[in-house]
Amino acid sequence: MLAELINPYYLQVGCFILINIILGISVYITLSTGQLSLANAGFMGIGAYTSALLTIHFDLPIIIGIIIGALVAALCGVLIGIPTLRLQGVYLAIVTLGFGEVIRVIFVNWETLTNGSVGISGIPHIGREILKTLQGFGFQPMSIGLQNNQFIFLSIFILLLLITIFVIWFFRRQHQSRVGRAFAAIKLDEKAAESMGINITYYKVLAFAQGALVAGFAGAMYAHILAYISPADFAYHRAVEILIFVVFGGSEVIWGPIFGAFFLTLMPEVLRFISEYRYMIYGLIIIIMMAVRPQGLIDVPLLKALSKKGRKRGQKHGTGNHKSM
Amino acid sequence: MRQVLKKFVGVAAVSSMLLLSACGNSGDQTSGSEGGKVEADIGVVSFLTGSGAAYGEAIQGGLKLAQEEINAKGDVKINLIFEDSAGKQDQALTAAQKLINSDNVTAIIGPTLSTEMNVVGPEADLSGVPIIGTSTTAEGIPQIGDYVFRNSIPEALAIPASMQKAVDKYDVKKVAILYGNDDVFTKSGYDTMKKTAEEMGLEVLTTETFQKGQSDYNAQLTKIKNLNPDLILASALYNEGAVIMDQARKMGIDVPFVGGNGFNSPEVINIAGKSSNGLIVATPWYSEKEDEKVQEFVTKFEEEHGHVPDQFAAQAYDALYILADALKNAGSSDRDAVKDALAKTKDFEGILGNFSFDEEGDVLMDPTVLVIEEEKFVEFK
Repeated sequence: MLAELINPYYLQVGCFILINIILGISVYITLSTGQLSLANAGFMGIGAYTSALLTIHFDLPIIIGIIIGALVAALCGVLIGIPTLRLQGVYLAIVTLGFGEVIRVIFVNWETLTNGSVGISGIPHIGREILKTLQGFGFQPMSIGLQNNQFIFLSIFILLLLITIFVIWFFRRQHQSRVGRAFAAIKLDEKAAESMGINITYYKVLAFAQGALVAGFAGAMYAHILAYISPADFAYHRAVEILIFVVFGGSEVIWGPIFGAFFLTLMPEVLRFISEYRYMIYGLIIIIMMAVRPQGLIDVPLLKALSKKGRKRGQKHGTGNHKSM
Repeated sequence: MRQVLKKFVGVAAVSSMLLLSACGNSGDQTSGSEGGKVEADIGVVSFLTGSGAAYGEAIQGGLKLAQEEINAKGDVKINLIFEDSAGKQDQALTAAQKLINSDNVTAIIGPTLSTEMNVVGPEADLSGVPIIGTSTTAEGIPQIGDYVFRNSIPEALAIPASMQKAVDKYDVKKVAILYGNDDVFTKSGYDTMKKTAEEMGLEVLTTETFQKGQSDYNAQLTKIKNLNPDLILASALYNEGAVIMDQARKMGIDVPFVGGNGFNSPEVINIAGKSSNGLIVATPWYSEKEDEKVQEFVTKFEEEHGHVPDQFAAQAYDALYILADALKNAGSSDRDAVKDALAKTKDFEGILGNFSFDEEGDVLMDPTVLVIEEEKFVEFK
């Protein structure tokens, strides 16, 4: 019964949704200090290539490859974060966009290592490796009534789901901590924050590094799920796509990018039945959204309204309720 | 905030229930055989939206035409299910997953790009679904696994054929190579050119690179002109390639060009005009071939689409015929039986010519070498 319901197609779509959610969060983190970074596709590429090359050439376990990939991306985040501290707004966006392109061009031209634009194939697949390891312990998916490929995708999906929940939990906690308040202060007014004694350099670089770490991690996961990567995957199209998740969903609260990534990844799949028109509708939805809700679908007033409504169900309208929405 | 979280979890739970219930319907196998007539669902993953939609459109046109003809004959009944990949690997993979697991197709045709095939191929192979690429020309595609085939002529076959003919005819000793280094297609074409030039003992004077969308090639061409090669090997897609030829001819470079598969398009003549004369390409498809089947296909296709079919349409058309042939021989729509029957395909007479799979599922056939003369593709002799 359960086996009938587990379809690798839905799990596959689920995996891409979760990866995109993680990518959306990576942009949200840097945005929460008011820095617009378009380098996340580049960081994603660094994570993906580092992990792929390490696991292929040095036979490292995937988990170590992914961790090193994420750390290398974070290191690059620090390196690019420091010199670009003085930049803001569009200037920062341009520099980070340039950085992303530099990374892509390096992947294209460093042929001995990255195989150029042909890309790297034969990357160890995370689900297949899990299955192999478990089979080593004498486990067979059939014993719980699953086909091999059902088990492979189920394991990836559960793994990613746990990681995504952890990432969301972590950054929600951070948002309410000292660090989160410092980020918010910097976002509102850098000068005022500095005069209050917040170490701006530290927090801005921290946000940058965190964003890079998360993006690099998502990239490494991406590489081990697709088992093939090429430089074209990490071009500026990807940077813009990630940014759209955040802009669409809303950049003020963490639920914004989560919703944006969920909705915008699911949309093209749900619309498959109208084949060639689906991207037109996708575009149309984004245009309407931008016209009607430029701050993104989910923002603070909406969340407040939702939570108030939930709490005050059955009561007469509370004070201050008219202010939200 | 807690309330909101609860709501989100609720929404997520409901939507995942919907997803799961939706896939409950798709368990039943629709295809089967009845009284000797084989009926099969064939999935197609194609580049239907986005920058390469023209390829997907041509492939779709070729497949639909073949489907009509095959179903009219009545030995085999084929239902085609088209899915769009938008030219992206992740989309191609989800589309293939849908076809394999939700639609339970017997076999898959596509995807369009070699990069997509690198992702989809291993998955189809693991799931035991035969997959035929009709436009994937990069190296190593059929080697992915037993279930992976292609009927598109690989660069490794096409480029040496055209180089050999050009070298023989013009008595070439020295060549210059020019290629786009940021595209999978042109890069793998270059690798083949370099290897072939080494094998033939040609002297490579220089290797120049360019990027996608570049519009000024004078720096590279000036260098090439000063070195005075006998032949220029250009691994470019037609839009950049046509501009390169135009600028080269204006600069006074009048040696012939040998191009890869991506250079082979009537668009080159439209863009470069007279400058396109002297371009040599090898192709599996020649629409002016004096062959009844070919001419019938061209007329039918032209009636429907208003233009002459290109190689993508022709390759897709032949691929479905090869698959129909395999279905007929297998006598059922069982995936493994079809795979075995496909692997046995030998001396199939299609519109591309005499076609066989080698033991790896790669193409065995002789490409036609064409040259542009007086702004027309003619056979190169």
